[in-house]
Amino acid sequence: MLPSTLDELIEALRCLPGVGPKSAQRMAYHLLQRDQRGAGRLASALQKALVVLRHCERCNAFTESQVCQRCASSQRDASLLCVVEMPADLAMIEQTHAYDGLYYVLMGRISPLDGIGPRELKLDRLLARATDGVVREVILATNFTNEGEATAHTISELLNARGIRASRLSRGVPVGGELEHTDSGTIAQALFERRAL
Amino acid sequence: MSPKQRIDQQPAFILHSYPWRETSLIVEAFSRDHGRVALVAKGARRPLSALRGVLMAFQPLQLDWSGGGEVKTLIRAEWQGGQPLLTGRALLCGYYLNELLVRLSAREDAHPALYRAYATALAALARGLPIAPLLRRFELAMLRELGYGVGLEVDAESGEAVDPAGRYVYIIEKGPVSAPDYAGELPTLTGRSLLDMAADTFERPETLTQSRNLLRALINHYLHGHELQSRRVLKELQEL
Repeated sequence: MLPSTLDELIEALRCLPGVGPKSAQRMAYHLLQRDQRGAGRLASALQKALVVLRHCERCNAFTESQVCQRCASSQRDASLLCVVEMPADLAMIEQTHAYDGLYYVLMGRISPLDGIGPRELKLDRLLARATDGVVREVILATNFTNEGEATAHTISELLNARGIRASRLSRGVPVGGELEHTDSGTIAQALFERRAL
Repeated sequence: MSPKQRIDQQPAFILHSYPWRETSLIVEAFSRDHGRVALVAKGARRPLSALRGVLMAFQPLQLDWSGGGEVKTLIRAEWQGGQPLLTGRALLCGYYLNELLVRLSAREDAHPALYRAYATALAALARGLPIAPLLRRFELAMLRELGYGVGLEVDAESGEAVDPAGRYVYIIEKGPVSAPDYAGELPTLTGRSLLDMAADTFERPETLTQSRNLLRALINHYLHGHELQSRRVLKELQEL
């Protein structure tokens, strides 16, 4: 029998994605036996994050203040709003240096079979944000998976009903891509969605 | 546990998938000759996995797998192509079809005719054909293929052929019963609508509305109180 405190720790670690009983046990032993200082740092960082971090009122990403730095910046074009699924997607778009508007992070995607719909995603918050009178165009940059596509469709319907222009990232053969080495699904969709020159 | 076997080049669609361990995926596939199977796609969530873009729902695939347990191991997945990705409302309806199959079909129960009905419905969705008739056609084909008898042509009480001019109330697990003046909770249909359904023609508006009510009642009955998430999402969307 394991002491109950250890049991509790192992059980708690299992809340992490992809961590089963075996990995949780390994992590617990490692933290207690090999890296007590790391364990302390983890505990206090987690505790602090839970208290300090919250969702930005405007973009829904994590921030320590009511409105995050990016949303508060006067350098950015407030008439453009780019909707992404996760903070990692936001970081990727920032890296392009091709966009100077603002963002809204959904923190998920619509997935009907997992029971995640407009209510779970709190789309009413996005709608309130997009109808602030300043936003003129909403760019839907959700992933090109079925779920991302369903999310983009749902949001665009809601925005169009409110008279706000919605656009979608275009999709096709990657930049510098050669047809010979591109997967056939991508080429097929690029054919279906070809454009006039 | 059945003996370990290998299945090659099996036509299939992915119904649903969810993450498993760090980098893998468990997919629920609907195959032509082996019905619904659960497969683990090892490493499919790695950034450069070749499976990543292939294991998408609503696209015709060919799968190889092996294993004897409940969850088998996916060996190969090949994209068959020829069908645009679903978009818009058709995509949301595609999820509805998938949820019906996940909830109502049993694992490893072969239903080649249901597979054909599903493939036909998806192709019609992808081509942008009117959605309501194709959903009704699929729902009816699915219930019948899964062995839920849906009597449409004979009055379940009198044993007489359904009269196109008559009015019927549908008693689940029994069939249509002539009831000219019924005004209650049970689905009611005209004889004409019942015969349209039996003939697989969903063109008249009345047939569409009445068959929709009947099929919904039947599906709810066989779901035993389980709420369909895809239906809830569609409803929420209309409310926003």
